[in-house]
Amino acid sequence: MSKDYKDNLPISREEFIAQLRRYQKGSITRRHFLGVTGLGMASAVMAGAVPGLRPRKAWSAGDIGDRVVLATWPNYHDPANFEKFTEMTGAYVQVNVFGSNEEMLAKLQAGGSGWDVFVPTNYTITTYVGEDLIEPLDLSKLSNYDAAAFDPRFSDAGTVNGTLYAVPKNWGTTGYVINTAHSGGMTPTTWKEFWDMTKAEFSGRTMVHDYQLTTIGNALKYFGYSFNSVDPKELADAEKLLLDVKPHLYAINSDYQPPLRNGDAWMSMCWTGDGKQLNNDMPEMRYVLGREGGEIWSDYYAVPRGAEHRAAGYALIDFLLDPAVNAKEVLAHGYPVADSRTNALLPKELLEDPILYPAQELLDALEFGAAATLTDPNRAELLARFKSA
Amino acid sequence: MRLYALAVYLFLYIPIGVIVLFSFNAGRHASDLRGFSTQWYGKALANPIVMDSLTTSFTVALASAVMASLFGTMAALALQQVKGRMRVFYDAMIYVSIMIPGIVIGIATLIALVTVFEVVNPFLASIWPTGPEAAPKLNMGLGSLIAAHTLFTMSLVIVIVRARIAGMDRALIEASTDLYATPWRTFWQVTLPQIFPAILAGFLLSFTFSFDDFIIAFFVAGSQTTLPIYVFSSIRRGVTPEINAIGTMVLAVSLTLLITAQFMLRKREKPTRR
Amino acid sequence: MKGTWINRALLAPATLWLLGMLVLPLIVVIVFSFGERGAAGGYVPAFTLAQYANLPARLTAFKNTLIMAPLGTLAALVVAYPLAYYLAVRVSPRWRTLLLILVIVPFWTSILIRTYAWIFILGGRGLPLLLDMVGIADVRLMNTSFAVLVGIVYGYLPLMVFPIYVSLEKLDKRLLEASSDLGALPFATFRQVTLPLSLPGVATGCMLVFILLMGEFLIPALLGGGKVFFVGNALVDLFLQSRNWAYGSAVAATLVVIMLITVSLYMRLAMRRAGQRDDVSLF
Repeated sequence: MSKDYKDNLPISREEFIAQLRRYQKGSITRRHFLGVTGLGMASAVMAGAVPGLRPRKAWSAGDIGDRVVLATWPNYHDPANFEKFTEMTGAYVQVNVFGSNEEMLAKLQAGGSGWDVFVPTNYTITTYVGEDLIEPLDLSKLSNYDAAAFDPRFSDAGTVNGTLYAVPKNWGTTGYVINTAHSGGMTPTTWKEFWDMTKAEFSGRTMVHDYQLTTIGNALKYFGYSFNSVDPKELADAEKLLLDVKPHLYAINSDYQPPLRNGDAWMSMCWTGDGKQLNNDMPEMRYVLGREGGEIWSDYYAVPRGAEHRAAGYALIDFLLDPAVNAKEVLAHGYPVADSRTNALLPKELLEDPILYPAQELLDALEFGAAATLTDPNRAELLARFKSA
Repeated sequence: MRLYALAVYLFLYIPIGVIVLFSFNAGRHASDLRGFSTQWYGKALANPIVMDSLTTSFTVALASAVMASLFGTMAALALQQVKGRMRVFYDAMIYVSIMIPGIVIGIATLIALVTVFEVVNPFLASIWPTGPEAAPKLNMGLGSLIAAHTLFTMSLVIVIVRARIAGMDRALIEASTDLYATPWRTFWQVTLPQIFPAILAGFLLSFTFSFDDFIIAFFVAGSQTTLPIYVFSSIRRGVTPEINAIGTMVLAVSLTLLITAQFMLRKREKPTRR
Repeated sequence: MKGTWINRALLAPATLWLLGMLVLPLIVVIVFSFGERGAAGGYVPAFTLAQYANLPARLTAFKNTLIMAPLGTLAALVVAYPLAYYLAVRVSPRWRTLLLILVIVPFWTSILIRTYAWIFILGGRGLPLLLDMVGIADVRLMNTSFAVLVGIVYGYLPLMVFPIYVSLEKLDKRLLEASSDLGALPFATFRQVTLPLSLPGVATGCMLVFILLMGEFLIPALLGGGKVFFVGNALVDLFLQSRNWAYGSAVAATLVVIMLITVSLYMRLAMRRAGQRDDVSLF
């Protein structure tokens, strides 16, 4: 469908992006933008696919309350979109920013979070359902959600036991970034090299995440075990490796960009977007996906149980799912989307970027995080022992 | 001695200099100097989340510092008369409230309040005269944030003011009473001026503590975002010079307020100077 | 007892706060510490001592904290005392307020932002680069106990300066003059007049800093790079990462008990030396 849609656009892709950028900067109005790009016409024709482009009765000011509370990750949205949303609906978007899925879960378990929409990662959704912390989505209120437009790999975790609880936001991978200026230009290709180099020539220069999922998962990969293993013997091997490596680490910290940029650290576990940003600014920084595998992830929008501004929450999700809005989001934060309608609006060089869209054989080796890792007490205790050792 | 003080002030202000310097960074990353620019100030000011969290932090800090100074001073004065088992009880509570780490008080307060709200909210809804829909719903937010901060800061004020009372010149109070001044007059003209520096110190410490607190706020703030919460979550996935611009602006505003206040105080003091 | 009702009214708000925001949450923590972790984290009611039996799993964190907290307190005292003395005794009243306020002005920007600034200073392009220029190569400061100590002194300086200043400020300057007029050496004057007077302030300052350090989480997290691990860090992880609230409550309760014991011992000692047990009695 995306290809046809693309071909039907009355203007060139480059012209469209130029107009989109002008629209983002606010130098042209939405009406003008929709007019020149033909999206206005397209939306009139494809009323079912992009109705969010037209003002709707349910969105008129006051109807959905004056605010909506969104719990999300840092630098993961285009603030201009929120302003637009407030303009259209009268609801102000209050954003709470989080550092880990565990933290989000902890806040919801404790109660009193006050959120209306949050952004869980794929492997956490079944736990939210099991703990009754999340509401099934009412699709009639999400007219911009077109299940057929999404790559099922990145959207199926939103459905639990046949019920839709979450719709996809963005996806990405977890690999590592290496400063090849310090490895004689050599770019490693495996997790085994990551850990071995840390113990040898990169001693004191490597960082690992402060998360059980990726740090333990990628240590398990050293032995060829599953990224998601909760097997006590395999975890014991991973623990031994981590304790061996600890004296050689520069830090156990998920804030790795500054030390990598100022030269204190040479290598670190890394998410897609950070890898892309580092590589853009310093070409010697290479983003590596271990050949043994590692993590691939997908983030979703969901509504916590008992959301106070439910109508506004739905309106916000629907607004952000609008392909034109979503395209602006991607241009702002740089993470890939699984929505073909949105991809049709994105520049070619972004869609062909090898960091954002790794080669198929590398993707095939990756694993989605498993729900068991989130709740397994042994993995949590292992990380605590590693950190306090 | 002066040299030493200078060194300490340097120690205090070099990091501030670094913050200011990096706030003018043209690059996207705080640690990576790429020329001069003021763009991050514009971005921070245009970011409604930043402005909202600043307002929240300021409101909470002011409210809890005012309440802490007032309630704390009241309690410190009253506790002079309290003896025996009651005194032991209060002393213990005050010191325990200072002693409990923020993380403990944060999580404990959250769970306790949520449990209470779960009981109170249905009750309020059932008795509300205009129907359960109109009944107020207690929730974590500004109120719980102010209340939690006030616990620690109030105890802080009590301790500081009490230390001052302990060192106060009792002869003056006795003299005042001997001269048939009413207790109220003695308080206003003798006691208060003597303990005022302690109250002021307590107020400033309370404000600073509350404005700076991350860990308690992180648990009890509900859907509210304070500045430290915003900064902390930004730091976790890479700091932009926006954070430094915010820090610089907060600093500039407090400095301006301070200099103005100092200027006005001096003007007012002049005629009465000995 | 005249004025009892006034007293009660004065005490009412404080009492309300202490009961609702301290006693109630404390009871919650104690109850939780005997419970169990839920399958997906959180708390399940139970009565077991398993959480307390498991305390040795956090022994390193307790050890680190019990070494670093007194060390940090001492370092802060050493830096703060001369400054407080200078401000209270040497500076003309004209400048005193301004200088005093300058001590806390930096603290009106977030402690996070300030601590983050130290990452730049202690990081590879900061101090180590300067040291490299004068011939001291390959110094690593970031993510060490030293970095955490610097952050601690920086972060808690005003908490130490203010109480000491408050107790020195009421020092009668004529006492100092009298002492030196009587031929006492400056050091003797300091030891016999100034120091005893400042002890309540020193005690208060040390107590505040020590207590906050015992629960410290941010400074080791940011300047220790996750490698310098305090009980506070262990607690944050227990509540926010592994969500083992029962075990977390047991660790928290233990921490509070350790603090109660050390602080009350310390206060008793400090007060005995100050000879003012009556005025600033603790328990």
